[in-house]
Amino acid sequence: MITTYQITLKIHRYDPALQKHWTQEYQVEAGRIMRFVDVLRKINDEQDPTLAWGSSCEHGQCGTCSMKINGKPLLSCELLVENAVDFFNTTTFEIEPLEVAPRIRDLIIDTEKAYERVDRVKPYVIDPAPADHDDVEENQISPEDLERYVDATRCINCFCCSSACISSHRTFLGPNAMLAAVVRVMDPREREKQQRLDVLYNENGVYRCHSSKACSFVCPKEIDVAHFIALAKEGL
Amino acid sequence: MSNALSIRSTIHCDVLLIGAGGAALRCGAEILEQMPTARVIALTKVSHPQKSHTSTAQGGLAAVDPKDPMDATIFHMFDTWKGSDCTADQNVVKKICESAWEQILWLENRGMHFSRDQQGRLSKRTFGGHTRNFGEASVYRAVFEADRTGKGIMDTAWGETLKRGITFINQAIAVELLMENGRCGGCVVFQQKDGEFVRILARATVFASGGSGQVFQVTTNCRQNTGDGLALVLESGLPVMDPEAVQFHPTGIVGPGILASETLRSVGGILRNQAQEPFMEKYAPKMKELAPRDLVARAIETEIREGRGIMNPDHNIEHVWIDLRHLPQEVHEKQIPEVTSFFKRYVNLDPRTQLCPVRPSNHYHMGGIPTTMYGEVQDKNQGVIEGLYAVGECAAASFHGFNRLGTNSILELITMGKLVADRVVEVLAQTPAAASEMTSSHYREKMSGYLEHGGSESLGQIRFELRALMTEQVSVFRTKAGMTSAITRLHELNRRVTQTKISCRDLKMNQELVQRWELDNLLAVALAIAEAALAREESRGAHFRDDFPERKDEYNYHTLVSMDRFGEIELGRREVDMSVFEAGGEHHEQFSIIERKY
Repeated sequence: MITTYQITLKIHRYDPALQKHWTQEYQVEAGRIMRFVDVLRKINDEQDPTLAWGSSCEHGQCGTCSMKINGKPLLSCELLVENAVDFFNTTTFEIEPLEVAPRIRDLIIDTEKAYERVDRVKPYVIDPAPADHDDVEENQISPEDLERYVDATRCINCFCCSSACISSHRTFLGPNAMLAAVVRVMDPREREKQQRLDVLYNENGVYRCHSSKACSFVCPKEIDVAHFIALAKEGL
Repeated sequence: MSNALSIRSTIHCDVLLIGAGGAALRCGAEILEQMPTARVIALTKVSHPQKSHTSTAQGGLAAVDPKDPMDATIFHMFDTWKGSDCTADQNVVKKICESAWEQILWLENRGMHFSRDQQGRLSKRTFGGHTRNFGEASVYRAVFEADRTGKGIMDTAWGETLKRGITFINQAIAVELLMENGRCGGCVVFQQKDGEFVRILARATVFASGGSGQVFQVTTNCRQNTGDGLALVLESGLPVMDPEAVQFHPTGIVGPGILASETLRSVGGILRNQAQEPFMEKYAPKMKELAPRDLVARAIETEIREGRGIMNPDHNIEHVWIDLRHLPQEVHEKQIPEVTSFFKRYVNLDPRTQLCPVRPSNHYHMGGIPTTMYGEVQDKNQGVIEGLYAVGECAAASFHGFNRLGTNSILELITMGKLVADRVVEVLAQTPAAASEMTSSHYREKMSGYLEHGGSESLGQIRFELRALMTEQVSVFRTKAGMTSAITRLHELNRRVTQTKISCRDLKMNQELVQRWELDNLLAVALAIAEAALAREESRGAHFRDDFPERKDEYNYHTLVSMDRFGEIELGRREVDMSVFEAGGEHHEQFSIIERKY
């Protein structure tokens, strides 16, 4: 069994002070089960402390470390070196930030800007239905009703789908924003329906989707994003 | 360069939240519900509040449903008290347990997607240590959102604050607390995105900066949990409480530290050492793999210490194996599919045919910034610091004492978040409207020191040595000799750290500068943990001394550690609140000093 790999990373870098873009190559000896976040940390520790990249939970729950590796948007905490070598059939990897927001430095983008699209669909209950009866009661939602949209609530806003989506770069709010909108249209606790529908069906809404299903294909949480967008197109 | 370190602007607000996880945003949402015109600012170190550590909590939220005839609040209080090894504060335990269900409803009414039962009501699960009739039988007390309860809380609290007009400053760190005459007036903040320092003056400042798991080499904690809040408090001359109370889980997956649940052992998984010998029978001849969590963790650690561990070359850490190969296919598919997928995803092993690497993993910090039951931060003499509050994992009120019960951590976030908000609103209503002027004193010197240092030491190497040292000497297994040598090494590392240099000169998103600052925080917190653990010559909850294996009544108190400058340790005490016992009501005898046996 191969235990270490000599890999080459070609990382797209950006220096905001000089406004300079360039691609830098790093040769790394990487253990077979190192994740790409571990490889980037190794570069920081051993070769180049200036290389900037972001992560947080590092086990697929927060969506901070999303980036494009050989063109595929993914979570770098979930990609092991040996799996990457197998999947891409190469030991050379080109790494770029997702293009869903302006870059700040190297692989770090202005996530806040990307989130503006999610904020626009109001990811909360605008007008909650009052809870049943007195103040010790929860709303009742049948497991069957919940089942219809629960998968859409699993989205972690890593923006991999937005990056892969062929139509999201300009006017479309993007697949993950659509998921957040669909959830609250289907959630029986939301009484405000008009604003909800306006968001979903306006000029930045679901009709911008070209049904390529790239969103479902790249989603690290394996959510069938396209299914929910299709539901919305059919009027839910 | 020195010009770049100047304060660029001053921002005024009513409430400043340092952190934007579950505790911070539950607090912020409540303040905005009660005072819609308040200006509330939340800082977060991460790129967006949703990326906070709260989002990773899986299991559930303990809360007694008043409709449940089998359960009662007093049972939850008892379980928490017993679990804490008689070191939680009973006034806090009572307050939190009593307000638990109301907070579950707050989340449910605002859109959290709890799992449901057939009637459409909130589903409940049982967890270790959740009992009725004072330990008599298990009870279903934890509500949950599948295996992502923390995410549900985070999404809901974030949505509510967004809806009510909070201001977020993402990717920002608080680098100096502004204090004058025992009063806090806000802090100096480094906004990484712009590379600028700003002063935020606030009428109330709430620490909600999270845990300190990165002090240890293997941890379930997020990368940014570097104990910044504790270090900032220490540096301001304030104490931290019970830093030695750190919880470890016996089986974290090497190397990312993700939890491999207890289920693996309960379905028949066998722990094996380097020679593939099953070793648990040496430590617990009857219970073997099913022995309590702390005992299993110490058994694994002993195997590793005595040279029977296996070194993982990729993550540079020793571990033992968990063997699941003999389990029937059905068990793999039906009972442990999620953990199986974790091994597959993060170490590329198939537990059906291969041995899987595990070792104890740091999980939770019970200790923290000492507060009253309303989250008001206390000084060394337990006087309240005006204008300063703390909540969440960085705080210790103390709800967990020396050992936290499963599902009580995220409960604390939402209940204490609400209680702190109530107090903040009350105080704001009584005090004059303007935040007071305060000037910074030391952040600049510190930052310019980082930027001007030169030398050949590597920041990554020092951080690695620090974390390995804490895992070896100050984790599940503590002895006087081990901790004394760890303290000496920490002082050495603290000297070496001044020999590191920062290559990137531009301040905008300068991760080296932030990591250098974090390393100082890690060193300070590590030293506070080690010194407190050395001074406590007994075993209590998660704090286990191999040389003093029993709990002792003479240590029935909270440790207070102050450290105005690195190494200048001052130890103090805070009494454990036993007001439920002292009130002498029904069942009060259950709240005396009892044995923690299950």
